[in-house]
Amino acid sequence: MMQVNWFQILIDWVYGLIFWVYDVVNWIVGIILWVYNWVWGVIFWIWDLVFLNLDFLIKAILFPGLIFVVLALIYTVWFTRKMWGRIQMRRGPFHMGKFGGLQLFADAIKLISKEVIIPDGSRRWMYRILPSILLVIVLLPFAFIPWDATWYIADLSVSLVLVFAFLAAVPILALLIGWISGSKYSLIGGFRAANNQFAAEIPIIMSSVGPALLAGSLSLMAISGAQSSVWYVFLLPINFVTFLVSSVVAVGTFPFDAPVADSEIIFGWRTELSGVYFTLTYFAEFAEQMLYSALMVVLFFGGASGLPFLPGFVNFIIKFLIVMFFFIIVTSSFYRLRQDQITRYCWKYLLPLSMLNIILVLFGLAYIDGLAALVMGG
Amino acid sequence: MGFFSTLGEIFTILKHVFSQVFERPFTVLYPYEDREHPERTRGRHIHIREKCTACAQCVRACPVVAIRIDKSDRKYEKDAALYFDYTRCIFCGLCVQACRFNALFHTKVVDLSEPERERLHYDPERIETLDRDPLEWRGSRFR
Amino acid sequence: MSPDILDEAIEIWFGPQHVSAHGWAAKLTLIGDYIVECDPHAGYFHRSAEKVLEFRNFRQGPLVMERLCMLESFLMEYPYVSAVEQIAGLEVPERARIMRTILMEASRIHSLQFWWGQFAAELGLFTMLLWPWVDREYFLDAFEELTGSRHAVSFNTPGGVKYDFTDKFLKKLDRALLRIEERLPKFKDMLLHGPTFRLRTKNVGLFSAEQGLRWGLSGPNIKACGVPMDLRKDKPDSNLAYDLADWEVPTVHNEEHPGQSDAYDRMVQRFLEVETSINIIRQLLPQIPEGPIIDPKARAKANRLPEGEAYGRVEGTRGITSLWLKTTEKAQTAYRAKIRGPCFASYYALKHLVPGSRFADFIVIFGSLDPYPGLWDR
Repeated sequence: MMQVNWFQILIDWVYGLIFWVYDVVNWIVGIILWVYNWVWGVIFWIWDLVFLNLDFLIKAILFPGLIFVVLALIYTVWFTRKMWGRIQMRRGPFHMGKFGGLQLFADAIKLISKEVIIPDGSRRWMYRILPSILLVIVLLPFAFIPWDATWYIADLSVSLVLVFAFLAAVPILALLIGWISGSKYSLIGGFRAANNQFAAEIPIIMSSVGPALLAGSLSLMAISGAQSSVWYVFLLPINFVTFLVSSVVAVGTFPFDAPVADSEIIFGWRTELSGVYFTLTYFAEFAEQMLYSALMVVLFFGGASGLPFLPGFVNFIIKFLIVMFFFIIVTSSFYRLRQDQITRYCWKYLLPLSMLNIILVLFGLAYIDGLAALVMGG
Repeated sequence: MGFFSTLGEIFTILKHVFSQVFERPFTVLYPYEDREHPERTRGRHIHIREKCTACAQCVRACPVVAIRIDKSDRKYEKDAALYFDYTRCIFCGLCVQACRFNALFHTKVVDLSEPERERLHYDPERIETLDRDPLEWRGSRFR
Repeated sequence: MSPDILDEAIEIWFGPQHVSAHGWAAKLTLIGDYIVECDPHAGYFHRSAEKVLEFRNFRQGPLVMERLCMLESFLMEYPYVSAVEQIAGLEVPERARIMRTILMEASRIHSLQFWWGQFAAELGLFTMLLWPWVDREYFLDAFEELTGSRHAVSFNTPGGVKYDFTDKFLKKLDRALLRIEERLPKFKDMLLHGPTFRLRTKNVGLFSAEQGLRWGLSGPNIKACGVPMDLRKDKPDSNLAYDLADWEVPTVHNEEHPGQSDAYDRMVQRFLEVETSINIIRQLLPQIPEGPIIDPKARAKANRLPEGEAYGRVEGTRGITSLWLKTTEKAQTAYRAKIRGPCFASYYALKHLVPGSRFADFIVIFGSLDPYPGLWDR
């Protein structure tokens, strides 16, 4: 007969209960520890990320990066408007802040807060997304601009090619915006923007070959570093002129503003954009202008070299403003060319001139002793 | 037109534009500064009631019916009250030329903007008085 | 043209909300970049000025007339005043005769300065929009000194003029003339000798003198074809003092296409017009005699006109402006007034001129003919 030991069963049960409670507590503690460790891990990971890459982060976000570029963009627009005002015997902005310095912030706030009117015939989601892509694509190449020997974001061995690769997407976006806005004026403007790039892209790349050949590198950093003894603008003046003119064509500002010719097609591919989308494209145009000015400083004016007692990026910015001033003078002197004339003159004059320069540079490097040492020695 | 003459023309244009940068701007900062208005400026009117004889020649001369006359409203011996409607007035000066008794004049006050449309209907009291002096009000005092 | 080509055509409305169409509208049919049909629409500016003139007496009439084209207000008043003077048999004093002529020529200069700026802006150069307009301010200041108003001058009146010359006015007029004389070479460099200006305007909007006369063009547009058709010489007005000055009708000879004119020739013609006007003013200024400025009986005579009809005309800035006036016995107002503005002809000349040209050239052709919307609609 089975002897049932009720007492033993009770003891076992109590033991089991205690172990069970112990395990539950362990389990909860384990969860808490796991969460705790996970949180700490994330914090440490961020900590490590920030502190090991602090240099890069500050560069990418603060100084030569996003915030600096956007502020520089705003003040470049201000500088351009002030200079245009001077040339046209006006005063330019003067109400907001000292010398109208805050006017662009006021304009940006006003434009962003305006109502967005999307036409019926447009593709709505593309209308909303394309202008921001445009601005991002134009702002990205600023990462490769060597503002200084220390203050730069990225230095690739092919950054010159990469900059032009990014910029090749701009007219496609312009064409798309013109196409999807559902207006005939926008469509015509989009095709004209594509035509402008078709005219200007080959001369502009051809004229950037000269400095690259002289420096023996495709990296913007190396090109600007190679000019510490002599600036390439003295060696390649015609090349500089072709680069300047074809960059004005590529940007599509005043003498070559057929894509946005306001007296012919109301505002070209930007006709139907409103509110914040217009702001984005407006800033994108000036950012492109800025980018080409910075490229000119890097390729022809020796980047950060200049007055020795100033920091390198100050030299760069001074030269950048001077080049921007040239840009403004050129953009406010000539009448708008027709789009077929733009293509004809880019292909007829700028392309042969820039090709001639490449040949001259090649012969110079091959036959002039000491030139290679002078320009590459750094 | 050779290549080099075209280049010369381009540089002439660039020279003109470049020299313009260093010249003074032509515009005035309007609310703070103002141009000097000449003697004959046809601004808002002023009505001198002592001289008025209620002949209503100004009302007849007005090409856009901007003046209304109230002959019963008398302050002096034989004058009348004038109501000016500056929403209609085109400042042609015919009423001032029609007045033979030197009772109606133009002033130099040319900026008449008002927040409300009704404020542009000048009643007799406002048309008799100059609420602000055109030259005193201006100048760099406001800057 | 086969109909299947027309299937690809797009119709585009140039106006009335277009930036450079300040309210007018033309329907264009485009195939590719070429305009195949242009349909200008008039009527957007109709203010029924002819009907309004039937309800204004003869001293108020010039006010209506000068508001048709504010840019040449001294010239626009004259046809009406001249018609009233012919019906009433009024004699204009010698002093008023010369004063009128001087101010009409000054008005012509400042209207042409306005047109330089406007045409430059249509061609896409805003620098040249503002430079001539600054010089125009000097003339407007002089007009304000004389009459008290910058644009709506109300200067001419039947029988003479309203305001006498003052020393201050003469000084200001002299300053304005000196300014325009000083700046003319600069404007010629910017406009006529600019390479981009030549590119845009040469062989654009080409028409011959016979065509122009058939379309009813007059003024600088027909003089640019080499036809010296000028009312100031052809039909000398006894109330104007053009006979006191020694001058020639300026014409342009196009060497490539004799007897025809393009947009460039019309610009050259308008420079010559300004030089002729300055010449006339310079000759007339010392010849002003002392004396009354208005016929003493003018006021009484212009109150009630006898029955009659008269045709007043003037060589305006844009062509022949004329007015036919009919009055009944003891008339206080006109029975009927018919205004002939020069710009209706030049606006509808677009219908024949534009087809076959590029879309970008449409505004150049329009601008070179210089139609003023207020003058084609009345």
